[in-house]
Amino acid sequence: MADDIKRKDAQMRATINQKLVETGERDRLKDLLRTRLIECGWRDQLKQHCKEVVKQKGLEHITVDDLVAEITPKGRALVPDNVKKELLQRIRTFLAQQADN
Amino acid sequence: MTSCGHITEYKSKYGTNQFRIIHAYFIAASSDNARRRKGKSGVCHTCRFPSFRLHACLYCVYFGCYTTKHIHEHAFSKNHNLAADMTYGTIFCFECGDYVYDKELESIAQIQNEKAAKSLGLKSYNFIAWEPTEVEVEILRQNPKRRKVENKSTIGLRGLINLGNTCFMNCIVQSLIHTPVLRDFFLADKHNCQMTSVEAQQCLVCEMARLFQEFYSGNRTPHIPYRLLHLVWTNARHLAGYEQQDAHEFLIAALDVLHRHCKGYSDNKCLSINKFFTGRNGMTSGNPHHCNCIIDQIFTGGLQSDVTCQECNNVSTTIDPIWDISLDLGPGAPIPNALLNVNNSSSSPSSGFSNSPGTYEPTSLLDCLKRFTKPEHLGSSAKIKCSTCHSYQESTKQLTMKKLPIVACFHLKRFEHSTGLHKKISTFVSFPEELDMTPFMSSSRNNTNGYRNQIVQESAKGLSCDNKYSLFAVVNHMGTIECGHYTCFIRQHKDQWFKCDDHLITKATLNEVLKSEGYLLFYHKQILEYQQ
Ligand SMILES: [Zn+2]
Ligand SMILES: [Zn+2]
Ligand SMILES: [Zn+2]
Ligand SMILES: [Zn+2]
Ligand SMILES: [Zn+2]
Ligand SMILES: [Zn+2]
Repeated sequence: MADDIKRKDAQMRATINQKLVETGERDRLKDLLRTRLIECGWRDQLKQHCKEVVKQKGLEHITVDDLVAEITPKGRALVPDNVKKELLQRIRTFLAQQADN
Repeated sequence: MTSCGHITEYKSKYGTNQFRIIHAYFIAASSDNARRRKGKSGVCHTCRFPSFRLHACLYCVYFGCYTTKHIHEHAFSKNHNLAADMTYGTIFCFECGDYVYDKELESIAQIQNEKAAKSLGLKSYNFIAWEPTEVEVEILRQNPKRRKVENKSTIGLRGLINLGNTCFMNCIVQSLIHTPVLRDFFLADKHNCQMTSVEAQQCLVCEMARLFQEFYSGNRTPHIPYRLLHLVWTNARHLAGYEQQDAHEFLIAALDVLHRHCKGYSDNKCLSINKFFTGRNGMTSGNPHHCNCIIDQIFTGGLQSDVTCQECNNVSTTIDPIWDISLDLGPGAPIPNALLNVNNSSSSPSSGFSNSPGTYEPTSLLDCLKRFTKPEHLGSSAKIKCSTCHSYQESTKQLTMKKLPIVACFHLKRFEHSTGLHKKISTFVSFPEELDMTPFMSSSRNNTNGYRNQIVQESAKGLSCDNKYSLFAVVNHMGTIECGHYTCFIRQHKDQWFKCDDHLITKATLNEVLKSEGYLLFYHKQILEYQQ
């Protein structure tokens, strides 16, 4: 039963993802997110944080995966709420339009 | 992340074609067809899930998840040691155990990314992170002293000495100095003076640049703006003399002189924006005001005026550049000549003609803006020549914002000179810290929004930051029309307020700011758009 829900869930995700990619909406959302994160200074803050991590561990001893693992919690926490809300609303609108079609 | 020998070896054997194809079809798809293919086939070949970190093998046709290591299994079992990340296009080398750089593959990706972004009309591709040029690196080397601006730092705050009733000038200078985009322009040393060296002595933009240096020098003693005052007197003669002047009039004059000096024109060599206010008779839409100077980039908005003929419903639309929005406070006060924008004619603006009927006294900025953008019936005393009917007809007029400026300056018309008697309106008019201009846009008037679902449309609008503004300066006038004093509040960082009273700077709270009797309100846009 639980497995069934899980499978349906995965199926749903796959369908939504495919729709997002096919229509170019995924790229548009990425573009919006990128713009917003640059605007609010998120990008600069994270870049600074990355520099600190690399300096601390030494360039020779760190991989991209290490760096990603290190900065992800901070990166997530620093995304402003209004940016998350705006993105969520855009996704909702997109899904509503898709359901209408 | 460095370059590795495995990539060089791979390229010498197989070339770059496999990467180019994978990138064009599955990473940066630039046509509907390619996007459809990408959407259908973007799944892991092992587990069939559309993982968010899919990688494509550079040796054969295989896509696999990175997180669940399906791509790793493939790489090791087949000895295919290079794969491209299908989200970002970066190359992972399984031999080195990390992502690796390759200039040649990167430049292929760059070209294809741009093409894909253009096909969808995406904006963020125009963003280029700042990298110092060689000249700038040299300047940084020669000037090793650094100053870090932190949240607590008060750098940029400096009082201005009153030179005899010059508080009207001081508060405008404070507001301009604390206009974020203008500050960035001057601190980045972007004014490239177009005047000859003799003329440049008279350049108000150069003087602003010096003022910014004074404010950011770290010096705490009040600055004496005698040089600025002298320049204002020589460039805007109607403001000369030691009398109290109107701060709004000074702002517009200052913007006008700055705009002219940006172009390298002193005095009368250039078409000033005032011309659009006074000499636009017979001018139709498509105003030739295409100035790209920093003042126009920041302050110029586009005001749309739609005049609808009551007889034939023909709409004539004009768009005019504006530097500020003047808002009536009194009941049915006459609107300024500037806004009496009609497509005819010889008729001079009629009197007793307002941008809101009735005896309505606005008590908030939103009220004022609603009134400003409300369709208004022009009575029989204000007939306008209709280009379709070829005769004078009664009509309806509506003003809306076609293009929003980066900095919106609202002028609450507290001083009335029109009726012969001079008086000041001291009504409290509330104004918000955050302002959404969406309802006052021309696009809201037409209601041509793509969304079909009304509720979705409303909430999506409310959440979008596109037309949102933040308050950053307020100019106040205290006292009466004959005897008064100007002060202002300015914002530093994101939320710290200070009161500037000539040479005195004191800390203030947002509440004090919002409770004050505002005369000029300065808002800046929260989001800047990149130019295409
Ligand atoms: Zn998989
Ligand atoms: Zn392979
Ligand atoms: Zn390698
Ligand atoms: Zn100059
Ligand atoms: Zn200009
Ligand atoms: Zn008509």
